[in-house]
Amino acid sequence: MEPVIQGLTLILDPFNIGLIFAGVVIGVTVGALPGLSSPMAVALLLPFTITLDPVPAICMMAALYCAGTFGGSITAILINAPGAPPAAATALDGYPMAKRGEAGRALGLAAVSSVLGGIFSLVVFLFAAPLLAKIALQFRPPEYFALTVFALSMLASISGKSSLRNLIAGAFGVLLGTAGIHLTTGVERFTFGIYELTEGISFVPVLIGLFALGELLGQSQALKVTYERITSVVVKLPSMADFRKVGMTILRSSGIGTFIGILPAEGATVAAIMGYNEAKRWSKNKEEFGHGALEGIAGPEAANNAATGGAMVPTLALGIPGSGTTAIILAALIMHGFRPGPYLMQETPHFLYAIFGAMLMANFMFLGIGLGGAKLFSRITLIPRQFLWPSVFVFSMVGAYSFASSIFDIWVMFIAGILGFLMKRHGFGPAPLVMGLILGKLVEESLSQSMIMFDNNWFKFFDSPIVVFFFVVTMLGLFWPVVRMAFNRLFNRQSEPS
Amino acid sequence: MNNREKADPTATVDEAKQPLIDRTDLGLTVVILTISGILYWLTTDFEKVADLFAQDVPPEFFPRLLIWTIVILTLALPFEHLFLKRRGESLEKERADHIEPMAYLTAALLFAVVASILLLGTSLSMVAVCAALPVLWGERRIKIILLFAIILPLLVTLLFSVVLGVHFEPGIFNVSLR
Repeated sequence: MEPVIQGLTLILDPFNIGLIFAGVVIGVTVGALPGLSSPMAVALLLPFTITLDPVPAICMMAALYCAGTFGGSITAILINAPGAPPAAATALDGYPMAKRGEAGRALGLAAVSSVLGGIFSLVVFLFAAPLLAKIALQFRPPEYFALTVFALSMLASISGKSSLRNLIAGAFGVLLGTAGIHLTTGVERFTFGIYELTEGISFVPVLIGLFALGELLGQSQALKVTYERITSVVVKLPSMADFRKVGMTILRSSGIGTFIGILPAEGATVAAIMGYNEAKRWSKNKEEFGHGALEGIAGPEAANNAATGGAMVPTLALGIPGSGTTAIILAALIMHGFRPGPYLMQETPHFLYAIFGAMLMANFMFLGIGLGGAKLFSRITLIPRQFLWPSVFVFSMVGAYSFASSIFDIWVMFIAGILGFLMKRHGFGPAPLVMGLILGKLVEESLSQSMIMFDNNWFKFFDSPIVVFFFVVTMLGLFWPVVRMAFNRLFNRQSEPS
Repeated sequence: MNNREKADPTATVDEAKQPLIDRTDLGLTVVILTISGILYWLTTDFEKVADLFAQDVPPEFFPRLLIWTIVILTLALPFEHLFLKRRGESLEKERADHIEPMAYLTAALLFAVVASILLLGTSLSMVAVCAALPVLWGERRIKIILLFAIILPLLVTLLFSVVLGVHFEPGIFNVSLR
């Protein structure tokens, strides 16, 4: 009980409440602005939070993460431009509803569904994280290696259309993580004689460059894009009849979102798409989907926000990020001197409850902000790009510089930005690269330790049932499309009349 | 005949029209393989350590494992479009248009700003980007640009330099708030 009280006391400090509120306001604003995303905002926030105590710093980021996921729905509904990728599915039915004069009803339903999904996942987070950490305490380096390989294989479906490109980007991220001095032997690798690289490539400038500068260069090509705006908005809470209609959808999507969030690497976007598809599949009025169906808003909104709480489970319990944004939160934890994983739960259990409290608070705060300020947030898109994106660059430049007061880091940010822009153009997402970079050290460390334990005998990996389980799941995940195709062919052949 | 073929009788014809190899992806494959080759070559230059000291895990072992993984995955890239097409997806939409000249100009401007930080100092570099980027992107309201180019860098400098205690490069004009 003591850690619960300790964690919640930390959160109830007025300064920390102020930080969480600031995180929520920034999150909803960023979420509402097309082009700006939660990972980008969390990456830009990282240098600020370095000067804060660890708990408020991480809580502020967690609050931003929740609010940013919801914020995207405002512009998805009002201007048919999802502010963030997880809100893309919401636009399919939210905008048609807004066009027929029910924008307020759609926004109210989105806000309430998001909050219910968020609370559902937080309850699961509160019980699942310690349980998972307890199991993970039994893990030795081979089990950790198998787990990280599984997490990396999950990158295949993290975002975008191409699993292959996600895997290549992930592997490249891990490779970037090998730059610097090799831990076992002290040999310099990929340092090119540059002193700053001996400690490895710093996360912060890479994250900022990939997410912020890469997007800035993309936006430079869309200067003339304008949005059609729904202006008359009076937000309405869903009626009892609405609740009866979407109650099961919210519950189902909350479960789906939480589960998807818990899976390593799978984030809110995948959850929202699945939430939408399942809402449609179970609906009695499938024909309404795409024309303003209530379930078409409640499904993805409950799912994408449920994924935020779910994604915190592997991040804190295993040290394996549950999504692109939690990968940055994980980097922040490492920078604050924490050891994410089961020992975090053992050594600082109050931390879990503080984050739980912060995310719960953030959910209620964005409900209030979402209901009260939707009209204002929809007007955020009126900020001219000509001023918005130079501001983003200024914060990127100073953010990359301030962590180590190093001009070299600004160059790293710039190169990462160019790389991010080119990668995105060719279907490689920045999120897999970031996750690879963050997981890189853990993969190499656990593999090296395993190889030393096993005297360089690869077959000994298969002595552990946990390792075998993760390897089998990894193979199934990677080759699932092939397996499914084979099953389909077999099934079709059997069902055809001879 | 399977379900997909029944549903779309033109699919076989369309697939026959498709080239086996996507030329853009082939170019991309060549670039990635070249980079992988260079990185592999760099691993041959790592300092050699005794096996006993390296405990059978030499420093080049893991990077090489990754490079091989990347190479194997990359070899499938030129054929990936066939699988994407079957799922009704394509990457062509994103890269059909050429990169706009504005993106090159923006990158060049930002490069110039980053390169001049040591000379101008951090604060003046911020002023430069806040003044030049809006103009480059078509903004012509000079008063607003001037206000923006003064107020934002001032606020950011105050926040980072004074509140958060970050040391900013003063540059040759020795501009600093601390």
